[in-house]
Amino acid sequence: MVAHLLRLKLLLLRNLFRRSRAQTIGLIAGIVYFSFAVVGVAVLLGSLRTSLDDARIVIPLVGAGTIVLWTIVPLFTFGSDPTLDPARFATFAVPTRDLAIGLALSALIGLPAIATCVVMAGVFVAWTMTPGSAVVGLMCVVIGVLTAVTTSRWVSARATGALQSRRGRDGLAIAGLLLLLVAGPLVAFIGSSGSDAKSTAALLSDVIGWTPLGWVWAAPTDIAAGNVVIGLLRLLLGALTLYVVGRLWARAVADQVENPRAVARSDAGVAADGDLGLLARTADTPGGAVAGRVLTYYRRDPRFQVALITTPLVPLLLLVPFTVGDVLWAPLLMGPLVAFLLGFGEHNAVAYDSDAVWLHLVTATPGVADRRGRLISSALLALLLVPAYTLVGAGLGQRLDLVGGLLGLSVALLGAGYGLSSVMNVVLPYPVPESGESPFASPPGAAGATLLAQTVASIGTTVVAAPVLVLAWLGWQGQVWAVWATAVLGMALGVGAALVGICIGARLFERRGPELLAALRRT
Amino acid sequence: MRALGKRFGDLIAVKGIDLDVPRGSFFGLVGPNGAGKTTTLSMVTGLLRPDSGQAFVLGHDVWADPVAAKRLLGVLPDGLKLFDRLTGLQLITYAGLLRGMPRDLATSRATELIAALGLSEAQGKLVVDYSAGMTKKTTLACALVHAPRVLVLDEPFEAVDPVSAATIRRILEDYVAAGGTVVLSSHVMDLVQRLCSHVAVIADGQVLAVGQTDDVRSGRSLEERFVELVGGSVEVEGLSWLRTSSD
Repeated sequence: MVAHLLRLKLLLLRNLFRRSRAQTIGLIAGIVYFSFAVVGVAVLLGSLRTSLDDARIVIPLVGAGTIVLWTIVPLFTFGSDPTLDPARFATFAVPTRDLAIGLALSALIGLPAIATCVVMAGVFVAWTMTPGSAVVGLMCVVIGVLTAVTTSRWVSARATGALQSRRGRDGLAIAGLLLLLVAGPLVAFIGSSGSDAKSTAALLSDVIGWTPLGWVWAAPTDIAAGNVVIGLLRLLLGALTLYVVGRLWARAVADQVENPRAVARSDAGVAADGDLGLLARTADTPGGAVAGRVLTYYRRDPRFQVALITTPLVPLLLLVPFTVGDVLWAPLLMGPLVAFLLGFGEHNAVAYDSDAVWLHLVTATPGVADRRGRLISSALLALLLVPAYTLVGAGLGQRLDLVGGLLGLSVALLGAGYGLSSVMNVVLPYPVPESGESPFASPPGAAGATLLAQTVASIGTTVVAAPVLVLAWLGWQGQVWAVWATAVLGMALGVGAALVGICIGARLFERRGPELLAALRRT
Repeated sequence: MRALGKRFGDLIAVKGIDLDVPRGSFFGLVGPNGAGKTTTLSMVTGLLRPDSGQAFVLGHDVWADPVAAKRLLGVLPDGLKLFDRLTGLQLITYAGLLRGMPRDLATSRATELIAALGLSEAQGKLVVDYSAGMTKKTTLACALVHAPRVLVLDEPFEAVDPVSAATIRRILEDYVAAGGTVVLSSHVMDLVQRLCSHVAVIADGQVLAVGQTDDVRSGRSLEERFVELVGGSVEVEGLSWLRTSSD
């Protein structure tokens, strides 16, 4: 039975390469790229063989990190490989024990597992300092990898219940986003604390070495350093951890196989009877309806919430060079940057509707109503963020005299972005995660189209706004007339570009509706 | 609706179909899987551009004068997603608003449709949490909300429970009795035979038979006639081991 499951997983791995040629080329390019990184890490770890002190600090961190990554990553890429979900085997009469072992081992066949094994080979090399540490090291690597894989399977299986409800998935996606946002500054902060980084790492490593995450990763260095008793104790504790995790995993499998449907449950209603929500508050026209629908999506769809949360945060990154490096001009760009992001952000708006856009086609929704309705929610955000960031930025940069010019530049970038986006989201939609998928999942084979569309959108916006950009630069150089010219021309160009873009986009939307739908269905 | 002619060069899916759907008829489109039913209906409703041929709705060319034609059409497509993060009530109202209806009218009609289709309890839930049958009924309500003259429904009874199916049937029969025209596709021969005044059998992108239901089935049941027209045998060969009672 175990052999059957392993063969199934091998087959799945092989079929990865059987998709369209473009996808296969992309996949192979990705593998080659990551291979260098993985082999590099492995060699680096292997070189720790000559330095017992460094190995003692680094390896427990790497090992514990491996286990944590194995546990967390599958939660966020859910939907990527549900093929070996225990619940799927409910209708086959497979002994639970065999199933648990087979499924855990089958997780070892796959690209992430191969990468892990390569890195762990490096760890093993580092541990071949003495014959004793080499023997214990080999056992520890095996136990460690198995623990990582089994923990990963156990957590995924237990999380399936939460993941299958829409609310659970949405909540998890948002939690992940916040984690990502917090992680960046945290790492930067630790990095900036500089000199004592090594002692911090040593302390952390010591602590981890005495937790279930770190027992096996600390044992071989103990042996090499002569602390045989402690080393063997840690090895024993590590083996015990693997046993406990294995039992937990087996029980999770048993639960899912015996009761596979229990995890699916429905959510309660979100609105009172007769309540139209935001649809009742926008203008009483088709355009207003589209705006109301998009605003509702901002409230309910994690894919939109990701944009809603990240867009205002990105310009804040400009405060880093300002506070750390005293770069006074950096905050000046906050307003224009947020304007650019908001305009650029609409360039693939229709793709997020997927083929639900058929409703707009059969109702013969006027193109202008569709285009304008989609922009309104973003424009509301712009109305709030652009003036605020421009003023704050100019204040921090101590150049309040430039406010007019900065506002003009922002409006120009925003309008150019909206105009270009209104055309591009009809002509060049590219695949995005489906509604209900993780906002971070990347649809297979979309990398090329995504890159092309994003390049066109960003370069196009810059080109359209180029005259205003030149004027703004002159204004910053001290030409007072240019500041006011930027303000006036920026407003005119922004509004004009948006209107022209909406008109062209509207005509294209009405003419190319069926082609747009076909493109969205393919994706 | 007359002279619904469609011709397609070498397109494999649909090989030039000519169909006339009389005004006020209840028209069934039947055919085996992959016969081109959905493709045909998509081209009639403006969702898929035909390679050749024309489609008319009450004299308006769907592809030359889409706005006028689409105003008269109510559409229920098969296999397309919905704006499923809206509640049922929101989605139906949204369909009405996109048609340019005043909000009060759209809302009151949406509420009536929801009550008629037995969705009242679920009107505040998101469509993404609906069952397949409820989703189908909601889509039907979206097609009805602007009181179209012609309804084009792709598999309207799929995944719908018997009680709801009866409700939908009543709604459609009343609609036809009041002068509306319904075109629907289905796999369920029994239902088409009972419901439809006219029927067309298509297979391989071609029309095999068309006319009044009684003429097409010529004295036999529609199912027998269908199998005969489409070809293929209903005799099952092998599988003797499946007859466990012979043990």
